Amino acid sequence: MEREDFRSHYSGYDVLDKWSSPDWDDQTREVIRRRLENVPVVRFFTEQEVRTLTAIVDRILPQSDRSEIEKVPIVPWIDEKLHEDRHNGYRYEELPPQRQAWRWALAGIDETARALFAGKAFCDLDVQSQDVVLRHVERGTSPGDAWKIVPAQGFFTSVLVIAIVQIYYAHPIAWNEIGYNGPSSPRGHVRKWEGGVDPWEAQEDHD
Amino acid sequence: MIDEKNNESHLFAPGIHGEQVPMRDLSREEVDFCIVGAGAGGGVLGAKLAEAGFSVVILDAGPHWDPTKDFVSDETASRKLIWTDERITGGEDPVELGANNSGRGVGGSTVHYSMVAMRAHPEDFQRRSLEGEIARAELLNWPLTFDELEPYYEEVEQALQIAGPTNYPWGKRRKRYPQREHELNASAQVLVRGCVKLGIPVAPAPIATLSAPHKDRPPCVYRGFCNYGCTTNAKSSILVTYIPRAIRAGAEVRPNSMAAQIEHDKRGLVTGVLHFRDGGEDLFRQRAKNVVVAGYAVETPRLLLNSASSLFPDGLANSSGMVGKCFMVHSGHQVFAKFRERINQYKAPPPGGALTEHFNRTMPDADFICGYTIEVVGPHPVDFASRISAARGLWGAELRRTMLDYNYYSGIGIVGEILPQQNNFVKVHETERDQYGLPIPHVIFSYHENDRRLIADAKRKMKEILEAAGGADVWTADRMAHLLGTCRMGNDPMNSVVNADCRSHDIPNLFVCDGSVFTTSTGVNPSLTIEAIAARTADRIVELRRHNAIP
Repeated sequence: MEREDFRSHYSGYDVLDKWSSPDWDDQTREVIRRRLENVPVVRFFTEQEVRTLTAIVDRILPQSDRSEIEKVPIVPWIDEKLHEDRHNGYRYEELPPQRQAWRWALAGIDETARALFAGKAFCDLDVQSQDVVLRHVERGTSPGDAWKIVPAQGFFTSVLVIAIVQIYYAHPIAWNEIGYNGPSSPRGHVRKWEGGVDPWEAQEDHD
Repeated sequence: MIDEKNNESHLFAPGIHGEQVPMRDLSREEVDFCIVGAGAGGGVLGAKLAEAGFSVVILDAGPHWDPTKDFVSDETASRKLIWTDERITGGEDPVELGANNSGRGVGGSTVHYSMVAMRAHPEDFQRRSLEGEIARAELLNWPLTFDELEPYYEEVEQALQIAGPTNYPWGKRRKRYPQREHELNASAQVLVRGCVKLGIPVAPAPIATLSAPHKDRPPCVYRGFCNYGCTTNAKSSILVTYIPRAIRAGAEVRPNSMAAQIEHDKRGLVTGVLHFRDGGEDLFRQRAKNVVVAGYAVETPRLLLNSASSLFPDGLANSSGMVGKCFMVHSGHQVFAKFRERINQYKAPPPGGALTEHFNRTMPDADFICGYTIEVVGPHPVDFASRISAARGLWGAELRRTMLDYNYYSGIGIVGEILPQQNNFVKVHETERDQYGLPIPHVIFSYHENDRRLIADAKRKMKEILEAAGGADVWTADRMAHLLGTCRMGNDPMNSVVNADCRSHDIPNLFVCDGSVFTTSTGVNPSLTIEAIAARTADRIVELRRHNAIP
């Protein structure tokens, strides 16, 4: 797979350097420690579903610039939410309960892949073909019986992409990449104006 | 069914500095008031009633938060502050319920609100008279006037120590705010620059967070995590203001208590509230001479509808058929643009320190009635990434590349008035049940044509402002905020649920006190109006009691 370039403006910044600073309190350290160290084991999805979902996640939030061990884990956290059946606070009328919705949608993405690409499973396609499948799902033009139960477009935009994006940007690796200050309790901020950067905020590269 | 057998005569509740505060145990008594919901409505009302000498129990479905231990500087971990129980959402414009509009736990949504503390205007209470009949909208005058509510705005502004400008340029002339205004953050500077360029008046925002020390609470240090629980107590939520007052005055605030049903006697007077406690399967009965429902505009009608009986087959307080009807939100559309200088939008309270109410009125040259307020927003990365991804259909490498410039985006958003409609409503689902076995809410919402024209205009104006300020790469996020209506207040029992005192037309010892009672939505954030109405309701109840008009 080709390596994509995601060059951060803040190459020297690591939010975890502030672990013991006045920006991090005990309860926040506990939450982030769990995110970094206690990645849950898969309990909800089947092995085949994990293969499909891993391939999907690699396209929605590509991390080809990182080795497997460096990647922000995403599938385990989706799995944990479904295992515990934690809700979002709303469900669109046309969508079945979330556990069913995810199972049907993953089956649907495989169905669409097989229909469009000579019987191949989604995870066996090259990345360009995978993107073709996902674009069909996004537009609601994806062939497959599963999509009669789970509306493709609704699931893609209001469930799938958002779940992946929210897990990725909750991780310190993503915070480093975008120069997010991260936790700030109890210290807070002083230089709030345009262009103002507190010494403990991410400093930009000068090049 | 079990009645409380606990022999303890007192309990403890979390204080706001990590201490434990003694609290009365009223579980075996027939209290004067059982209030369901410890948020902006229930918290203010409960504190004032307890201070007036009534015995009060406030039930809340969620925990009693300890601000020194329970709040974290993290978007994801703070989801526990949100009401995430399943709700079905439909209509042409289904509302995303949960994160942006529904709180869980003592303090309710004020624990994660953005603290914009605005008064409605005199015109807001007279919409029907001012605008006449509007097709497919249920415009009504409120049974309250601004003048009746004004002293209560003043009272809650003092209690919450609102920080704002010396002279606030919109609405009825007012005294200066109790605390000085906050400095502008970068996103507020952008709003001000854009407005000044275009000749649009703009002013410091009145905000419910301290700008100077007040009693045992310190001023804001601009952590920027206001929507995720304030760890320093600078934020004037109900949790750290009225709830301690309520407990001190002898109220019991009972957390983790999910109301299942309001009971009544043969005469049709309510007698108490059945509720689940601490995740258990047993139903407890809190006996009460009066019941107040204050669960916000989805849970409040849900409880009234789920309390249907042979005497009240359509639910309590529902002879008009209006319980659940005229559900409203605010349009909360936001526009973002990229700037040359660093914004770091996560810094400082989300309202940033500036707003404009210039468009919050029916404008003579507009193709719509009512208006909107423009405020500053400042989403953290999880929220921002979700918005930009949904708004621009971004995913894959394009999303990750776009997010690299997160610190250069600045955003503004509206609180736009939405018209009440019969066809927008909350009902209980026919088949689906929650973890307690209770029918879940089913919410239907579609914008009115007037709403759509208002939104289109607001998007245009916000884009102009950001471009005038030097922004590029402008995009819009379609959003909504706040939950209102569903037990609207009115003089006519045929088309409203409660009267000006928040008292049910049908059942004299049943009250509703939260955003549900809004007759129209107004073009400002609702928390201060909810609190002012609750403060007034408490005084009215004292008055009614004096005349033996309530039990």
